[in-house]
Amino acid sequence: MIGGAAVIAPVYRLTLRSLLDGRRTLALALLALVPVIPAVVFAAAGEIDPEIFWARLVQRLIIPTVAAFVAVVIGASAIGDERDDGTILYLLSTPQSRLGLVVTKVLASWTAAALLLTPPAVVAGLVTLGSEATPGRILWPLAGMLLACLCYCAVTAWLSTVSRRPVVIGVLYILLWEGSIATFAASADRLSIAAYGRVIAVEGVIDVNAPETAAPVALIVLAAVAAIAIRAAARRLTRSEMP
Amino acid sequence: MSAPSLTFDNVSRWYGDTVALADVSFTLGPGVTGLLGHNGAGKSTALKLCAGFTRPSSGTVRVLGSDLSDSPEAYRRIGISHDRDAFWPFLTARAMVALCARLRGVADPDAAAARALAQVGLEDAADRRMRGFSHGMRQRVKLAQALAHDPELLLLDEPLNGLDPAQRRAVVELIHRLGDEGRTVLVSSHVLHEVERMAPRVLVLVNGHLVASGATTAIRELIADRPRVIRLEPATEGRALARELVGAGLVESVRFDDGALLVESGDIERFSRALAGVARDVGARLRRVEPVGDDLESVYAYLHERARGVGR
Repeated sequence: MIGGAAVIAPVYRLTLRSLLDGRRTLALALLALVPVIPAVVFAAAGEIDPEIFWARLVQRLIIPTVAAFVAVVIGASAIGDERDDGTILYLLSTPQSRLGLVVTKVLASWTAAALLLTPPAVVAGLVTLGSEATPGRILWPLAGMLLACLCYCAVTAWLSTVSRRPVVIGVLYILLWEGSIATFAASADRLSIAAYGRVIAVEGVIDVNAPETAAPVALIVLAAVAAIAIRAAARRLTRSEMP
Repeated sequence: MSAPSLTFDNVSRWYGDTVALADVSFTLGPGVTGLLGHNGAGKSTALKLCAGFTRPSSGTVRVLGSDLSDSPEAYRRIGISHDRDAFWPFLTARAMVALCARLRGVADPDAAAARALAQVGLEDAADRRMRGFSHGMRQRVKLAQALAHDPELLLLDEPLNGLDPAQRRAVVELIHRLGDEGRTVLVSSHVLHEVERMAPRVLVLVNGHLVASGATTAIRELIADRPRVIRLEPATEGRALARELVGAGLVESVRFDDGALLVESGDIERFSRALAGVARDVGARLRRVEPVGDDLESVYAYLHERARGVGR
């Protein structure tokens, strides 16, 4: 994967299971279902152009709110939960590379987020667009959402190595920076993960709320931020005080 | 003795203004060594430093010849049962021990898990999820995962916690066996007689200082020989009794405390044997005789002062 760090299969399975086990998953799954509600209501009423409605759903609800929140909570839990309960020590007292552990944790949380988010997003798109649904109108928003999720998962993995409250910090970032400041101070979008996700999404849908950035640039920024966060987290794991 | 498995060289560890460990040096070779100290004495900090979970603020820690924070390779040869009651509730005991063994590079992790679980007497519960495990069962799972990869060095933080007497006996025997096999075992406890049962050698920590180290029996004698304060409550003839005890050289000092006598004796055995006779001779009736400061805290305080006194 990154810098030759291989995914550690047993840790991947363990983390995925741990993230999907419990009541929190149920709450997040319900949250992930939220975009389906306006889609169904809209399909019943049918007063706005479906293409515009789907574009708004993707850029104002799915990527910046629902996916961001689910990815932050899951991403922060992959390492944060084990740090809180001490089980991280079993993984750290092994010869496995720290980078490999973090890469594995991030991929597992990304998988969990994708499993929760993808089906409702696809359903919402199909219901909204109806006969106007095309692969591009569904898959580009999906790609934007999933790439933003990867970035959120990596950054919150790092947050969980430097803070005891990674979820709180992550949610505050979504609410205050991405959800508020970046909406009136346009350049703040440059530090918004969701904004780069929207840039990729608008390759397939009408642009209603995306910054003026080329999609390849957005892709590079998301990948680079994820890689830097993963590196930093691996560094912290070797140096920080473990519980 | 071969090269030491574990070396602390003038190791200190502080957290802000709090000193958890102050200038501690020791080396450990094969066999069982106890790490004794009250809660908060620095035992867990010392074990965390050994395990590479934290770094010294000053000084050096070498584990099996390497610095664990530089390279985690040595974890193949180290087994750790840490102080956190941590486990994955949805895994079975067997799955967890096998997972730990696999991650530490064991060729056949399932066989290793079966062997380790048998060693701690958990074969019967091996395939149950740990969600419903008692404290004692979880403690033994922690021990099993520390053993499964056949490590040379074992770091066990309070391994007898939560165990019933029969399980304690079994774990004590297991620890003896591990030492006899030539492994280096460092086992912490805050209970002296537990350490006595487990380890022929002991390191005693008080307030972050290493105040005594050596054979457990020698430390035991040191503790037994310390001057003791005894509180006597005579109903009558208190002053005569005090005079006679000092006169006979049975006590070094006497203080009066609200009708009771506080006497200090350097030879508690002799004092105990002689007390009844002296009291009878002077016609004093004793209502109560009780040692003062015989709890472990004061034992540690004594060791601490003694260590400072000899300029350690």
